Amino acid sequence: MELNKIISPVLAIFKYSTRKILFNRRWVITLLIALLVGVIMGYAGSQLDDALNDGTTLMDVLILSFIMPIITMIYGTSLIRNEIEDRSITQVITAPLDRRIAYLGYYFSLAAALSLIMLVINLVGWVSFFAQQGMDGDSLTILGSMCLVSVIGALAYSALFLASGVFLKKPVYFGLFYAFIWESFIGSIPGAISHYTIKHFVRSIASGWLEWGSIGIYDGTSVGASIAVLAGVTIAFLVLGAMMFKESEYP
Amino acid sequence: MASVASSGSELNPPVIQASFLSKWYGDVIGLNGLNVTILEGITGIVGPNGAGKSTFFKLVTGTIKSNAGELSVLGQKPWGNWRQLGAIGFCPDYEFLPLDMTGQQYLEYIGGLQAMEKTGLDKRIKEVAGIVRMTKDMNRKMGGYSKGMKQRLKIAGALLHNPKLLLLDEPLSGLDPISRRDIIELIKTLNRNYGHTIIVSSHVLHEIERMTHNIVLIYKGRAVATGVISEIRNLISQYPHNIIIEGKNMPELAKALLDKSYTYSVGYNNNRNSITVKVTAPEEFFDSMPDLVEKSMASVERMYSQDDNLESVFKYLVGW
Repeated sequence: MELNKIISPVLAIFKYSTRKILFNRRWVITLLIALLVGVIMGYAGSQLDDALNDGTTLMDVLILSFIMPIITMIYGTSLIRNEIEDRSITQVITAPLDRRIAYLGYYFSLAAALSLIMLVINLVGWVSFFAQQGMDGDSLTILGSMCLVSVIGALAYSALFLASGVFLKKPVYFGLFYAFIWESFIGSIPGAISHYTIKHFVRSIASGWLEWGSIGIYDGTSVGASIAVLAGVTIAFLVLGAMMFKESEYP
Repeated sequence: MASVASSGSELNPPVIQASFLSKWYGDVIGLNGLNVTILEGITGIVGPNGAGKSTFFKLVTGTIKSNAGELSVLGQKPWGNWRQLGAIGFCPDYEFLPLDMTGQQYLEYIGGLQAMEKTGLDKRIKEVAGIVRMTKDMNRKMGGYSKGMKQRLKIAGALLHNPKLLLLDEPLSGLDPISRRDIIELIKTLNRNYGHTIIVSSHVLHEIERMTHNIVLIYKGRAVATGVISEIRNLISQYPHNIIIEGKNMPELAKALLDKSYTYSVGYNNNRNSITVKVTAPEEFFDSMPDLVEKSMASVERMYSQDDNLESVFKYLVGW
């Protein structure tokens, strides 16, 4: 009975928020990004001839390193913050539900929706490229690995950006800074500082699973350590976000 | 500290008790030492925009935290007390309904948040839709609802879990006269037939008067008066009265009135045959009027006070 009092509201928030993420007007942005990936990788697939290396590099540079932080930033920073701004958060915070549990409902919906979006984008890119270069067993390994690391990345980025929507009134500025300056720029410069990004650990995991392209030669952290770090980051931001959500006032 | 309650409920413990309750947002004061005790029944919170009505509701629902003072809702402190929200239904004054959902989907979502079981929820949604007279429109998207329908659905959402205490923040705001009448009747029905204790806010006194005789007048974050309307009317004598006098030779009467210590001001209305006199001691004024009329050789055709309705009480109490 007590468990139902937790599961039912979390499920309600999960369904409501997932529906909102997937079916609001921003699906056009997602569609355009998927199309962009399809066009770029489709064109590359018609020009390049080292399928496994080039395909892996493209998926790394285009999807893992660039699109994933941006997509997760767009959806993550706005999910709770938009509800606070338009005050639809009222229906959640006036329900007999521990706000920390409610926060988990938001996180699960964000992580699930973003994982789905990333899977679709990976699939579109992979099909566009490898349909021309041959869909053999190795290419399927690339798809499977990229999909899995995308899901792991989506889990971590979701925790970070969702929490920023609770901490900050304008989380999109933080999101833009993090996605474009920290992840893209700082994450690309030589030296240890580039290791202080989610992207580094996501790519490290991929480099442990794949031996082709830029990922294959990436000098990263071990897979186990990377998973542990990302899990730690995810849990840390989840706890911080949930505590902040619980303690915040919503005038 | 004054109390407001429906008759016969005085033996029950207070539903809400606030003492020196204060809330400020930076430099802006939301509530300023509010003292009020609210018992069962329907209670109207009345005050102009910005008086602190919504702040009070937010404190009661625990969405904001007080800066000073004590607040007890159903015997418990509301801040951080999420379990208590099972006994409270809140209908805010702003729009927040997801317009792309149907009424049925929305109430299913609310029922999920309330951890209501599926079978019980379906039954309750039908019941509540009937109470708010929305049964026919439950499967329509809320984007196509009128303002009155949205308001009824918001109330349905607040009612769904059958709370003991129902908080309705400006439920009549922006509604057409027919919808206002319907919502007023609904609020009375919810108390009379379903036993909900209801706290309803408005900045329009006569609307509240149609729902309840128990009121709390709030102004600038303070309860300037609480009690039943008759008690509040008694407070009139403590404040200046506006009395309109119509007849002949009003300028002479005005001069005579200006010599009296109880006269605060005298002014002409639309013409010189009508004056408004503001007096600080109405009983003294009425006692002295026959003499004044005689001395000024005025002829009074009509004399009436603007203060025989709630609007005037409110204006007096808030200093308008």
